[in-house]
Amino acid sequence: MNPEPFLQLDRVIHEKGRLGIMSALAATPELSFTELRETLAMTDGNLTTHLRILQEGGFISLAKSYQNNRPLTTCSLTKAGRKAFADYINLLEQIVRQNKG
Amino acid sequence: MNPNWAEENLQTIRTLMERSALYRRALAPVMITCGMAGLAGGAVGWLGKLDSYTAFVAVWATTAVVALSCSLLLMRRQALRDSEPFWSAPTRRIAQALAPPFVVGAIMTDVIFGTANDEGMAIAAILIWCLSYGCGIHAAGFFMPRGIRWFGWIFILAGLGLITFLFSAPVPVWAFISPHLLMAAIFGGLHLAYGIYLYFTEKKNPA
Repeated sequence: MNPEPFLQLDRVIHEKGRLGIMSALAATPELSFTELRETLAMTDGNLTTHLRILQEGGFISLAKSYQNNRPLTTCSLTKAGRKAFADYINLLEQIVRQNKG
Repeated sequence: MNPNWAEENLQTIRTLMERSALYRRALAPVMITCGMAGLAGGAVGWLGKLDSYTAFVAVWATTAVVALSCSLLLMRRQALRDSEPFWSAPTRRIAQALAPPFVVGAIMTDVIFGTANDEGMAIAAILIWCLSYGCGIHAAGFFMPRGIRWFGWIFILAGLGLITFLFSAPVPVWAFISPHLLMAAIFGGLHLAYGIYLYFTEKKNPA
């Protein structure tokens, strides 16, 4: 088995929680912190930690605003994040093909 | 490591992407249009004294068709403007969520025919419509921004409140309430109020 694709997988995205965040954000232009938390059934602290790591990696951007006088944090994939996610999917597909072949 | 981990990861990604794809078109114009249609339907029925059960159902079925057609046109226009498919995955899921309660509401409208006098049947129809519409909107709300589920709850509570009020009233109150005005207030008024609220709070350029 060729280990090459596996070694190329982005370690930041590959973590289960962060992969969930990236997947959810890939399907929609943006999601609020609350929507992400409900979709992924994560705790506030856990989600905040993962979001910070992804933001530091340049995969996502966070926008803070107010809606009805309440703070609203909106998350979206950056261009680099979208590309990294697409690359990650391609590598996974390669690995699946390799396993089947 | 499980040899199928990559396949399982892909499946998880697919599931999460499907779950998080929310319907994000601006709803204010749709709600305001439905509200205006509701108020117009109430005015037509009340001023035209269309008080038989058949006429009542005809007025409101027509109103529903007009409101639905206008809503679909507005949604299509928004989709075209954003160069996105109209019949997208979130739209399909919303239609699937709305379908069962709406079908139940339509069938029950026919079932209650002949169970009481005209005014009583009309009030019973309003109860059923409130409950089925509220359940449908609440179910669709899982694929839309969170506020929609509250909107569904308001219809459910309106239906339940109406049942409580009717059963606790010492006299048959439907003799004093125009079903058309009640429909205009509940369906027209609530949609219009929610539409105005969304107009001022919704992002003007939905992502």
